[in-house]
Amino acid sequence: MSFPSFLILYCAGVVTGTLGALLGIGGGLFLVPFLVLAFNLPMHQAIATSIVAVIATSSAGATMNLERRTVNIRLGMVLEIASVIGAIAGGLTASQLSASVLTKLFSVVLLIVAALMIRKLRRQGEQEHIFTDGVLAATFHDEATGATIAYSVRRVPALMAVSFVAGNLSGLLGVGGGFFKVPAMTIFGGVPMKAATATSNFMIGVTAAASAFIYFSHGHLNPFIASIAVLGVLSGSFLGVKLNRRIHSSAIVWIFTAVLVAASIQLYLK
Amino acid sequence: MRVREHTVDRWTSRVLRGGVWLSVSFIAIGLVAALFNPASGRAEENPSFAEIARSLVSGHLNGEMLMFAGLVTLMLTPILRVATALVAFWAERDLRFVFTSGVVLLFLVGELIYSLR
Repeated sequence: MSFPSFLILYCAGVVTGTLGALLGIGGGLFLVPFLVLAFNLPMHQAIATSIVAVIATSSAGATMNLERRTVNIRLGMVLEIASVIGAIAGGLTASQLSASVLTKLFSVVLLIVAALMIRKLRRQGEQEHIFTDGVLAATFHDEATGATIAYSVRRVPALMAVSFVAGNLSGLLGVGGGFFKVPAMTIFGGVPMKAATATSNFMIGVTAAASAFIYFSHGHLNPFIASIAVLGVLSGSFLGVKLNRRIHSSAIVWIFTAVLVAASIQLYLK
Repeated sequence: MRVREHTVDRWTSRVLRGGVWLSVSFIAIGLVAALFNPASGRAEENPSFAEIARSLVSGHLNGEMLMFAGLVTLMLTPILRVATALVAFWAERDLRFVFTSGVVLLFLVGELIYSLR
C-alpha cells in the first residue's frame, strides 16, 4: 500500500470515528461504502474491516460510558442474547451470498438509515417518556441537567426482536445496528436517550465479535486495511467526543444523511 | 467478602480499556514494521491462532503477524468482557445475570470454535 493511500484510509477512519461519536452511530455506514467505492475493496473485505472498526469504537466508547454509569449493563446483556444469535446467523449467511447481493442490500439499508436520521431530527426537543413500572431498573447522572434519572425498561421481548434484526444486519453487512436499537429502546422501551445510546454502543462490540471470526476464518480480513482503519476510527472517536461539546449536531446530521443517500445510489449502481 | 457497588461496570471497563490498548500497541508497532520492511505480498489466507501465538512466543515476528495479533486481540476483547461480566455478576451474587452472561458467552465461544475448527 502506498503512503498516500495509507493517509487517505487513515483520514477516512478519522472521519468515520468522529461522525460516529458526534451522531451516536457505528462506523460501518460510512466505512463500508468508502472502502468499496474509493478503494475498490471486495465487499466481504470491506465488511470484515468495518466489523473490526465497530469493535474498536464500541470498546473505546464503552469504557467512558461505563465510568459515567450511563450503560444499563443488565439490559445490554439480555439484548445481547438476541443480537449475538442474529449476528452469527448474519455472518454465516453473508459467506454464502455474492458481493453484488450484499452491495444492493447495503444500499437499501443506507436509505432506511437516512430516513431514520430525518425522523430523529424532526423529533428533537420532544419530551422523553420515562417509566418506573418496568424491569431492569437503573439510574444515571445526567451531566447536562445535573439530575439523577431513574428509569426501568418496558417491552423487553420487542426489544429482543429488534436486537436480533440489528445483530443480523451487523453480521451480514458489518454495521453496528445502533440506528435500529436506539430508537426501539427509547420509543418502545422507555429508556432515556443517553442510556439507550450508551447501552447500544456497549452492545455493538459483542455483536460484531460474534461474526468477526467467521470473516477472519474465510480470509476476508486484510491486516493493512483493517489496522489503518482501526487506528483512524479510534483517533476519530476521541476527536468526536471532544467536538461533541462544541458543535451543534443537526447540521452534521443533514450532511451525513445526504452522504448516506449519495452512497446508497452509488453502491446500487456499482 | 463485601463486594462494592458497580463491580460489573468497573471490571468490564478495565478489561475493555486493557484490550484496546494492547491491540492498538500491536497494530501500531506492526504497521511501522511493515512500512519500513514491506513483505513481498499478502498470503491468501489469514493465519491461524496457533501461527500467531507461535510467532509471538518465538519472537519471529513480522509486521503483518503483529497486525494480526492486534486485530485478534481486539476481536477477543468483547468476548473477554462478557466472561468478566459473568465473574463480576457472580461476585455480586446476581445469579440471574450469571446465567444470562453464560448464555451470551456460550454462543460467542461456540462461534469462535466453529470458525476456527
